[in-house]
Amino acid sequence: MKSRYADENLSWIAPLVLLVIAIPFLIRGVTFSYRYYLYVLNIAGIYTILAVGLDILSGYTGLISLGHAGFFAIGAYTSAVLVDQAGIPFGLSLIITPIITGFFGLVVGFPALRVSGMYLGLTTMGFGFIARRLIIALRAWTEGSAGLEVSNPVLFGFEFASDWANYFLIFTFVVAVVVVARRVMNSKIGRAFMAIRDSERAAEAAGVNLTRYKLLAFFMSAVLAGLAGVLFAHTMRFISTDHFDILLSIYFIIMILVGGVGSIYGAVLGSVFIVLLDFLLIPAFKDWMALFVAIEVADIQSLIFGLIMFLFIIFQPMGLYGVWLKMRIYWKLFPFNPKKRFT
Amino acid sequence: MPDLQIEDLHVRFSGVVALNGVSMEIREGEIFSLVGPNGSGKTTLFNCVSGFVKPHHGTICYGGLDLLSQPPHRIIDAGISRTFQNLQNVPYMTILDNVLLGNHSRIDNWETVRRWLSRDQRESEEQAVLKVLDFLGLANYEQKYLSGQPYGIQKLVEVARSLVSRPKLVLIDEPAAGMNDQETMEIAKIITEIRDDLGITVLVVEHDMSLVMSISDRVCVLDSGNIVTVGNPDEVKEHPDVISAFLGEGAVA
Amino acid sequence: MKIRNIILLTLLVALFLGCAGREPTPGVTDSEILIGNIQDLSGPMKELGMALPHGSNLYFNYINGKGGIHGRKIKMVIEDHQYNPQKAVAAAKKLVEQNQVFCFYQVIGTSPCEALRPTLEEYEIPLIAPATQSGTMSDRSRRGWKYIFHTDTGYDKQANILVDYAYEQNGDAKVGVIYQDDDYGANVLKGIAEAEERHGITVQKEAYQRGATDFAGQVMNLLKGGTTHVIIGGVVREPIIVMKTAAAMSYAPQFLGISPTMDHRVVLGAGKEGEGFIVANFAQLYNSDAEGAKLYRELFENSGTDPKVMGMYNFYGFMTAMVLVEGLERAGKRLTRARLIRAMEGFKNWDGMGVFPGISYGPSDRAGTESVVLVANRGGTQQIISDWIE
Repeated sequence: MKSRYADENLSWIAPLVLLVIAIPFLIRGVTFSYRYYLYVLNIAGIYTILAVGLDILSGYTGLISLGHAGFFAIGAYTSAVLVDQAGIPFGLSLIITPIITGFFGLVVGFPALRVSGMYLGLTTMGFGFIARRLIIALRAWTEGSAGLEVSNPVLFGFEFASDWANYFLIFTFVVAVVVVARRVMNSKIGRAFMAIRDSERAAEAAGVNLTRYKLLAFFMSAVLAGLAGVLFAHTMRFISTDHFDILLSIYFIIMILVGGVGSIYGAVLGSVFIVLLDFLLIPAFKDWMALFVAIEVADIQSLIFGLIMFLFIIFQPMGLYGVWLKMRIYWKLFPFNPKKRFT
Repeated sequence: MPDLQIEDLHVRFSGVVALNGVSMEIREGEIFSLVGPNGSGKTTLFNCVSGFVKPHHGTICYGGLDLLSQPPHRIIDAGISRTFQNLQNVPYMTILDNVLLGNHSRIDNWETVRRWLSRDQRESEEQAVLKVLDFLGLANYEQKYLSGQPYGIQKLVEVARSLVSRPKLVLIDEPAAGMNDQETMEIAKIITEIRDDLGITVLVVEHDMSLVMSISDRVCVLDSGNIVTVGNPDEVKEHPDVISAFLGEGAVA
Repeated sequence: MKIRNIILLTLLVALFLGCAGREPTPGVTDSEILIGNIQDLSGPMKELGMALPHGSNLYFNYINGKGGIHGRKIKMVIEDHQYNPQKAVAAAKKLVEQNQVFCFYQVIGTSPCEALRPTLEEYEIPLIAPATQSGTMSDRSRRGWKYIFHTDTGYDKQANILVDYAYEQNGDAKVGVIYQDDDYGANVLKGIAEAEERHGITVQKEAYQRGATDFAGQVMNLLKGGTTHVIIGGVVREPIIVMKTAAAMSYAPQFLGISPTMDHRVVLGAGKEGEGFIVANFAQLYNSDAEGAKLYRELFENSGTDPKVMGMYNFYGFMTAMVLVEGLERAGKRLTRARLIRAMEGFKNWDGMGVFPGISYGPSDRAGTESVVLVANRGGTQQIISDWIE
């Protein structure tokens, strides 16, 4: 029998990688303030890694987490302490820290076996608070909430000391995480996760061990949050508990909601979009507004965020990735009117 | 002999008796139907077999294995799979992936890792699915997303998912519910083929009496958790209690 | 493949453009000095975020009106960081690279300021008068210390002085402290620890969590411990509740406060229970007789701003503006960042028209003032009751 099997089309990966490499050069080419833009992109990259992890947990497996800032903080502080105080090389911390964070994920995952929905949201939110208190309590290592200075990343003798170098470090991981996460989600594991989300019964009947796979989802998600934390601590070079509050956890949820729940590309699009909006577009919009009206526009940030989330949930529940899919189908079907397909 | 033996099954849900001492034997290679009005305990029996409901009393053995000692996700390893009365699918996965889900326990971890790396592995995993889809007349549906497909297709995808792991016994819960006549005939044909061509024992719960009577080797009639009668379709049709209780006066004709 | 060629071409063009040259020293023209301020305009401290720059601008406008500094007018650009350290860094990079500011001034908050250290180092740009009293700002073991000129007396130093004051008043004093369980509290405890060592005593320490509204347990412990002097490391709500709780228990130690409790709302909120509350402050009050305070009142009244907000926050902005202007003045006509740093290092007991106890910096000294005045609540008004105490 001739194979009807259609493998994922990967021919776009090479151009995309080239684009990722080209972006800093392009930015430097057109503006003097490239370090500012790179800094924002670096944040977007770090959040992308975390959002992919959150999407695996909340988007694919349907286990909501309002405590991801906690995993992020644990990753960041663990690496800062391991590297700067225990003298472990950064490269090793890149491996150890996510695993440690992953175990925290397992610990948080246990209650998730019993509770779901709103209650799980509250449980994980509680974890976020506990993680913060824990960091403050372990003052001997973390300097409490005063914040911790962190060393630069050093890999194979090369020190990443600028936003420029950090960009390449971070985005190497972003590309790797996206490729690996897509592969994993497009296999037995991803199918089991989605089955748990949509029908625990069907999953069990198909042989999915709910306990094991829910914990696995928590573990994977926390590992990625931990990885993001390591990169964050060493590229931002200063961490403080002020970073990791409940608002950050909600910020991550907005990212995957806007990007499109249950898709890796959605998480990428969502986090990049939200960070650019938050750091570049809204401030620019504020400056622009200030030219015309003398009203106080300071709180416009939360207003715009709320509005965007509202509009996406109402009109575009599949998120930015859904928009992209529709556009693609539209062009494929052109000149036939594809409108009816998306009601 | 992998027969399914059910002995003296008692199930209560907070005082309501769902099954009251039910015993039966489903023999290898037969199509066995459970009929009865709503709330007679048919689906509860299914749930006991697939491990979702733990009975208060009784045993369920399959080929010498005590099924009640197994967690729900291990039932499929014993060679028993099932479909659900209400659709239990994953809408935002392709039909291919939905069916592949049924193969979950057949794919080991090493194969999963190989799958990430090698196209061959992905292809061979999918071959099994394509065979089942072809068997069910769903050829060329594999890349479509389940969401938005007609009900009949979604129902067939459930059947495909339960078949892909090559079970020895499949439990099919109300296959014809919500289907039109033509689709029901199609389902009848498929159920017969599952047994004849694939050699799988079939246990069916169904309301549609004409479907049950036309395909079953044996029929069991349940009422309020008790067995009214067990026998081949003709015997059951003639049974006075059955006639009065469920089929109504003119049903025999 | 066509797309690949296009991308390669773009890459080459970008590389070529990327090699273009860069501008010389930024932010200073013949007629203007541009300074960058990163405030909290929409976060938890937005009240201060509005008031501080307003006070600063009063002084800048006054100086600009007199012809500016060496003929250059001061212009301040304000960015919002929402009390988020990361946004503070992004805003700093934006100010340096897009607005091309000459230096930073008055950035608010400990963690945003701490987060800026690598950036200050990277661009070699000074930060004058960060709006936080944390003693860590002038800590020379920290990265980029060279670029931060901290004006205020640190919380640690303040706590230290308050313990001294308690013993001066009463040789048998038993001192206790209620501190916030965070960076602020940690800084207070650092000062307490120094005082403990110096006096050979143990101070009773009671912690509370940020946002706490019930202090009965802490106050009860202090009462049981027989504490005669209680140092409150809170902000506004905490001293009010602590003093009211103590009064309800008929417990009347001398309450002493760290500078954030200076807020006039403490006096209003605590009412008669707050009578006699003594606060350490690192500068003169806005309503004192110091020349600087007089000038402030005059400018404020002429500005037509609501007189209700005349209090400490606007004045704080005004005071630190004097420090910056003095530094720029001293740096001379040929202004560079390095020259500003050198000029700042030359400060020796500079008192800013009498409002400061005397600000001194040096090549390895970044702590501006190290003294406080004590301000007591006498019948609902705040009065200075001491000279500068070191």
